[in-house]
Amino acid sequence: MKNRITTYGLVGKFAISLIAVVVIQGILAYRIRVFGYFDLPLILSVYYGFTLGRPIPSVVIGTTIGLLQDSLSNVPMGTNGFSKTLIGYLAASAGSKFDVDLPVTRAIAIFLFTVGDGFIISILGLMTGSASNSGIDVLWNWLVAGVFNALLGMLMFGYHDRVTHAAS
Amino acid sequence: MRTVIASKKPAWITLAVALVFHTLLLSAQTSKRFDTSFVRVWLLASLGPFEKVVDSSVGGIENIWRGYIGLIHVRRDNEKLLSENGQLRMELAQKSEDALELARLRKLLDLQATSIGKTVVARVIGKDPSQGGQNMTIDKGSQSGVGRDTTIITRDGVVGRVIASSDYFSVVQLIIDSQSAVGFIVRSSRRLGILRGTGGTELEMEYIDDDNDIKQGDELITSGQDQIYPKGLPLGVVLSVGPRQGNFKVVRIRPNVNFGRLEEVLCMTDHLPEVPAGQAP
Repeated sequence: MKNRITTYGLVGKFAISLIAVVVIQGILAYRIRVFGYFDLPLILSVYYGFTLGRPIPSVVIGTTIGLLQDSLSNVPMGTNGFSKTLIGYLAASAGSKFDVDLPVTRAIAIFLFTVGDGFIISILGLMTGSASNSGIDVLWNWLVAGVFNALLGMLMFGYHDRVTHAAS
Repeated sequence: MRTVIASKKPAWITLAVALVFHTLLLSAQTSKRFDTSFVRVWLLASLGPFEKVVDSSVGGIENIWRGYIGLIHVRRDNEKLLSENGQLRMELAQKSEDALELARLRKLLDLQATSIGKTVVARVIGKDPSQGGQNMTIDKGSQSGVGRDTTIITRDGVVGRVIASSDYFSVVQLIIDSQSAVGFIVRSSRRLGILRGTGGTELEMEYIDDDNDIKQGDELITSGQDQIYPKGLPLGVVLSVGPRQGNFKVVRIRPNVNFGRLEEVLCMTDHLPEVPAGQAP
């Protein structure tokens, strides 16, 4: 009984954090223009991938957060879902095989995942006929977003480390 | 750092199932064999209330802060407003006379008073959570008569159209979105064409060759030929007529609406096919 309650609590915690991240991303991007460069759902997918180190929950988290993101976007449903699923899996695989405790490693990983995410979404956009801009502007956007996400990701991971150390 | 050691279950099976699910979902939308819009509507209906609550809280805090800062300048502003008020009263009296004269002339010409149609005011509660996306979420849905392809405007001009709506929330595609296209007429020369969003802050004209009379400063209005936006709504102003790139010229347009400062919008739930001149909000 106690185990079941713990499981429900854990699932609830994940669900709330996923919804909160998508909602906060939408509101902050609306109120603060520069926030359009950040991709909180992506950072959260990588964050859970690294910290859990388990591919199955990371895939479920990536799928859920991607679909939530799609529902408020103008891309076909499944575009961000596909991308975030893959990123969740890769982050979890990397998290279980490599040392991702170094801030530099995390920053580089988030940067690469951001560029990869943009690349996958563009490819899916071309395949489904919903591609947005192409060319040098898009590449530039990916790079800028990669830097922004890497910086924010480092802050979030740093905070997580401090909380974890304080608790242990 | 990791809280749990790696799972021994075959993770790649879960990954494959998830990717196949997304591929099927994408394929269903592309081929239009199955209507998958219910997934988006259901998720929008679930996320909308959270977005509205958070937006209201953030807006409330912002208003308190602005109110506090505003008090600092309130006296100076009050004096300025009193002076403006006197001037406006004079102008209003003059305008009232003009309005009465216009009504008399209309009656003489047997013209009926017209309007842009039925509209609903909606509040913007969020923006596209995807990187570079040009959509926004509003707090009105099918319960208020807002549905797919409902035209969204402000008093400055066209904002966009609804692409998905649940009972109480809708997602709006802005005209600056790179997938958006709007039919236009140049107000002075009556030339027809198509405007496309750039994904940035501007619009671009499509298929403009050398044989055109479009010039900087030309005003554009909707043509109504796209069967979505009613004719006669202000769109924007020609910013520059650039050099030829390939077969066509690059003509950049500055939209009338400031998309960075949208708070309230009007949803045209029922409108005439053409908005009469001078009646645009």
